[in-house]
Amino acid sequence: MSDAEQEQGYAPLVPPGLTIAKLNERVSDVVLKSGAPRWWWVGFSFSFALFLLLIIAACWLFINGIGIWGVDIPVAWGLAIAEYVWWIALASGGTIVSALFYITRSEWRSATNRIAETMMLCAAASAGIMPIFHLGRQGLFYWIFAYPNVMGMWPQFRSPLLWDFVCVICYIIMSVFFYFLGAIPDLATVRDRARTRAKQIFYGVLALGWRGSARHWSNYKTAYSIVAAIMAPMVISVHSVVGLDFAAGLTPGWHSTQFPPYFFFGAVISGLALVIMLTLMVRWGYGLYDIITERHLNILGKVMLTGSLMLTYSYVWEAWGPFYGSDVAERTMFLERVFGLYAGVFWSKTILNAVIPQLLWIPGVRRSPVPLFLISAGIIVGMWLERFVIVITSLHRNYMPSYWGSYFPTFWDWATLAGSIGLFLTLFFLFLRIMPIVSLAEMREIVYKTKGG
Amino acid sequence: MSEPPVYGIVAEFAKSEAIIAAARRLRLNGFRRVEAYVPFPLEELDRELHPPQRPWIPILIFVGALVGACYSYFLQYWAAVISFPINVGGRPYNSWPAFTVSSFEITVLFAVAAAFAAFMLFCRLPLLYHPVFNTPDFDRASQDHFFLCVEACDPRFDAERLRDIFAGYKPVRISLVPT
Repeated sequence: MSDAEQEQGYAPLVPPGLTIAKLNERVSDVVLKSGAPRWWWVGFSFSFALFLLLIIAACWLFINGIGIWGVDIPVAWGLAIAEYVWWIALASGGTIVSALFYITRSEWRSATNRIAETMMLCAAASAGIMPIFHLGRQGLFYWIFAYPNVMGMWPQFRSPLLWDFVCVICYIIMSVFFYFLGAIPDLATVRDRARTRAKQIFYGVLALGWRGSARHWSNYKTAYSIVAAIMAPMVISVHSVVGLDFAAGLTPGWHSTQFPPYFFFGAVISGLALVIMLTLMVRWGYGLYDIITERHLNILGKVMLTGSLMLTYSYVWEAWGPFYGSDVAERTMFLERVFGLYAGVFWSKTILNAVIPQLLWIPGVRRSPVPLFLISAGIIVGMWLERFVIVITSLHRNYMPSYWGSYFPTFWDWATLAGSIGLFLTLFFLFLRIMPIVSLAEMREIVYKTKGG
Repeated sequence: MSEPPVYGIVAEFAKSEAIIAAARRLRLNGFRRVEAYVPFPLEELDRELHPPQRPWIPILIFVGALVGACYSYFLQYWAAVISFPINVGGRPYNSWPAFTVSSFEITVLFAVAAAFAAFMLFCRLPLLYHPVFNTPDFDRASQDHFFLCVEACDPRFDAERLRDIFAGYKPVRISLVPT
């Protein structure tokens, strides 16, 4: 495939100027240099300010309870739940790029998979705090763990909400294993390039004494490919179970068998969008133009377009279902969603997720950073709006007209959103400074295969 | 005490073809305690150095998955049937379809944890000190050079003879590494 594409005039995966030595130097020296570049400080300060806002919002929440948000009966699930779904979808996208395309042996993945995995860890942190915030008594969240306790109680294992909790906990732990396993050989490279004693010890301990012996590599390959093969179906299950949280609820607009795949399609498109945005940022910030080439952007754009088409299919199904079925409440809710109070949100998400991404059919758009960045940003916003539509518009038109209401986010809702973005970016910027951001071992192998050596 | 005890003799190569050819020669000459240190996996080299083994890592991962499956299902069964049975509309206590999701997640979690543990076990990691790190220029084993080591415990170990063998493959450097 790669030969055919090169004949068609696509940029090569490995540009002629890139050598193994240059690759090691470029990627590991950015974390070993003592001063951070200016753009890093600007980005980090901004993110950290938002993160402080999260701390304030969380403290205020813990003191006053969730009444500081706009949630009430009937709309008892507000932005926190919408954002939980949003963040976990973004995290899933990282695993999709990294694990799914590892098993398909796509060589383009190696330049972007570490960015995607880093994103997955940071987004999972932002996702994980949301359901805890949303509890009435946050301090008792550990009651959901199955542990022997003096109350003699157990969690309800038949509930999709508990499945979701189990999924997310397992997913986060597995993501850490997956990330770390993949990073060990690269940490060894950084260790060997470090020149100060403190850094040698720090990366030496993190690399666990990796020697790169032939035996090490064969064990590594075996373990890594099996873990990737497990992670791929795992991530599909995680977001499908989030969909089940809703599908198992009897609320109109939620109670639909299409929810598990619908949510997964959303994860593909929004995760890819965030991978693209971060890839473009890292590429620009560290000047990695010869490692992350136009070819990578082109392929990521294609995958994102595929995600958009799958999601559009779900949108069509979602509109068709209420009219094909005979449930009056479903129809009322859907018409209210499309033409009512929140119609603007509905149409914005449809345009941002289903219409604008069609520009990606044009090869020139997929290869140029600025349009790609803008379309991705649009999708991230669009996916947030989609979660808002699913969570809030469904609840605001329930079965009984006496049970209708509306929801408006308060300042603290917005502060929590901004703060969770701050948490994500703060973690991401820290990873940028500490960990090699491109998978060196895999890239070396690809450069070697293309050029020999 | 004249010389420090020797861990092995290490040759450093700049080209992967050279190390593969040298490894083949060593194997044909009957050396068995040979290990290569390379910056990325070279399957051909692995075939020269190590006889094929039983796939122990996949076996351990499977065992991990099995343990996870039994543990997670038993936990749910215990809670819902034995310890705290709740009758919901006459439905069976052992409602296995509802237990499959959590069972699957915990099964794969155990499988991945087993994969990591098996990887560490068979690589003998973490091990922060290893004699081969004493090799001059060994930094480059994780970057762009290829190192081939014959350990002193090999019954045929003979530093002079090995120097001659290595010299035929244009090494960058040959060094005797102390333990």
